Amino acid sequence: MYKNYVDTSADTFPLITLVGPPNSGKTTLFNYLSGKKLKTVNYPGSTVDYSVCRIQEKYNINANLLDSPGIISLIPGSPDEQVAVSSLYAHPKFGVPDIVITTIDASQLSRHLLLTKQLLESGFRVVVVLTMTDILKKKGLQVSASRLKAELNAPVFVVDGRTGEGIPQLMNKIGKLLKKDQLNTDRKISAITEKKDFLKFYGEIEKIENKVLVPDPDKKKIAKANRKLRILTDPSAKKDCYKIDSTTVKIDKYLLNKNWGLFFFFIIMSLTFSSIFWLAQPLMNLVDSFFGMMNVMFSGLLGTTWYSDLISNGLISGTGAVLVFVPQIAMLFLILGLLEDSGYLARGAMLVDKPLSRIGLNGKSFVPMLSGFACAIPAMMAARTIPNRKERLLTIFILPLMSCSARLPVYALLIAFIIPPENSFAGGVVLASIYLFGIISSILIAGLINKFRDKIIKAEDNSSFILELPAYRLPKMKVVVHNAFISTKLYLRKAGPIILAFSLIIWLLTYFPNYNPEIDAKDLSKVEYVKLQETERLSGSYAAMLGKFIQPVMEPIGMDWRVGVSLISAFAAREVFVSSLALIFKVTDDDDTHLQNSIISAMRNARVESSGEKLFTTATIAGLIVFFIFALQCISTIAVSRKETGGWRIPVLQVVIFTSLAFCMTFITVNGLRFIGIQ
Amino acid sequence: MRTAAELKFGEKVIINDVDTEHPSSRRIMEIGFTPGQEIELINISAFNDPMAFSVRGTIIALRRNEAHCIKIM
Repeated sequence: MYKNYVDTSADTFPLITLVGPPNSGKTTLFNYLSGKKLKTVNYPGSTVDYSVCRIQEKYNINANLLDSPGIISLIPGSPDEQVAVSSLYAHPKFGVPDIVITTIDASQLSRHLLLTKQLLESGFRVVVVLTMTDILKKKGLQVSASRLKAELNAPVFVVDGRTGEGIPQLMNKIGKLLKKDQLNTDRKISAITEKKDFLKFYGEIEKIENKVLVPDPDKKKIAKANRKLRILTDPSAKKDCYKIDSTTVKIDKYLLNKNWGLFFFFIIMSLTFSSIFWLAQPLMNLVDSFFGMMNVMFSGLLGTTWYSDLISNGLISGTGAVLVFVPQIAMLFLILGLLEDSGYLARGAMLVDKPLSRIGLNGKSFVPMLSGFACAIPAMMAARTIPNRKERLLTIFILPLMSCSARLPVYALLIAFIIPPENSFAGGVVLASIYLFGIISSILIAGLINKFRDKIIKAEDNSSFILELPAYRLPKMKVVVHNAFISTKLYLRKAGPIILAFSLIIWLLTYFPNYNPEIDAKDLSKVEYVKLQETERLSGSYAAMLGKFIQPVMEPIGMDWRVGVSLISAFAAREVFVSSLALIFKVTDDDDTHLQNSIISAMRNARVESSGEKLFTTATIAGLIVFFIFALQCISTIAVSRKETGGWRIPVLQVVIFTSLAFCMTFITVNGLRFIGIQ
Repeated sequence: MRTAAELKFGEKVIINDVDTEHPSSRRIMEIGFTPGQEIELINISAFNDPMAFSVRGTIIALRRNEAHCIKIM
């Protein structure tokens, strides 16, 4: 998600706060109660910020509901846990919660009871929700809700995360509780730090666990054992509860294998990135021919007037050039969603912990880095799960080097210039190599900064890697597809207006002031006349005037002012580069019904004005790809970097270092390729 | 005394003590590694680090140096 989900105007309503350990079904419960569809992910720490909204109307309760990042105890160990604990004690806007709902995974009873006990001892009004009772049932056990209620002296409800069973009863109780006044409103922090006291605390929890775990009645019927529920005194039965998922262990024998684990890791990662390209190709062709047709239709209909040019060039080509690549972006979200839901991410983090810790990062940097391929903004927020400040700041620092989805349209167009679109397999390989190049560069840069870290990033504390490896599960296709759809929609809503606005701005800059140049029309055919008119118009345009300033900077890297103007406009949003190329190089000259083909053939015909040599060659295209890998051209990323690092120091360094690096690397690429004979 | 970092695959042992000198020890106890609990080494990652243990019905990955503060019988 791009920002905090805060959807409420009235803060006079009572506040219900949801807290629970990671992976305890907290967000699933939030979705039921709010009617929203926030993403649930099979990775501990997938929620890094709180979200607030109203309880769904059907429950007839006027209250705000706050979902917070997962915590295992009230003593926070990382910034995301700090968010949860602070919002529990004193939320700046909503104050102290009237009711705290805490989720407990029934199959992880003793570990999850720790937080519940701490909450109760701190004086919160707690309602306990038991989730995932089906997993415990498979082990032949169940939790007696009535006994747990008596032990904790707090209401306990069993909720089925798949069907929503048990939620009406829960809400009924909450409605009643809200009508009563709270006895006291001061909250202390029950955080036992002494080891002796802590172990005593855990001992009490184990006593409760022994009392409330009972054999599952279904299993009992089969065994025809005792008719009455008995206390689980048999130690072997308790051992059943601590059995781990055997399928998960079997899969991990391969995926976490000491010798083969990294091999599988590279296979999974490269499949992820190359499949984006070839899976999206058929859909892209559809969108592409749609815009191509629209373009031909409108320019045919409206003739050679200024408004015809505005509509067919400014609007259709400008926005269509980017929209063609939306299927790829959707595919990226879909594949990342599948990975997240499977439970593999925690394994990935474990596999890369050792190498990443060598360069000052952490295994927990893996998930932010991976989500950086969708967008750097949620990725920088996901870095909150890294406990060590220095490692977190370094992760945030290199995140802009992960090629985000906004760069996909640019790469896809540039790749299509070198490799014909029919060969989508080769295109996929090139795309995967671009991603790999970005990753390797980020690792080199992280290592380099780590060497001088005392000068750049000032922080020092204990480096740690403690991570729960959740059981594997088959990704829920329906949920994953839905989430990919929502993310794509959000992407369009966010980037769409910027792309449209900049298409118009660039159209204006390239059309005026010399919109009707005087040309000697003698001996010229109609087509030649229009073409010459367009060339004259562009060379006398505002864009060209602006371009003269950039020309000296662009020449060393083999580009001219037209590419320069496109690169500058890409600072509004990287995709605008594609619209800008489409506009400046006038793609409507031919009748090709495929927009992408038109852009590419226009690019092939483009020549450097001073020398008459071809502007776009393998060397300059490779140079442009390199530029986009390094350059930090995203204002929102800079803003989030400032917020997450708590100052301007890191974002300013990022802009300066990455942009100058982009220029130098492009210079080296273009001239290096030319030196070895590749034009 | 042996530590969890020296466990062999498939060997089930009981935790004897957790060394509170290590800065990660509080989190290690909070996540479920307490004296008296049975643990088993499930996996060791590439490069021999981190290690994954089963404890209280779940699998937890820890760095080798963190596993060193879990003393076993």
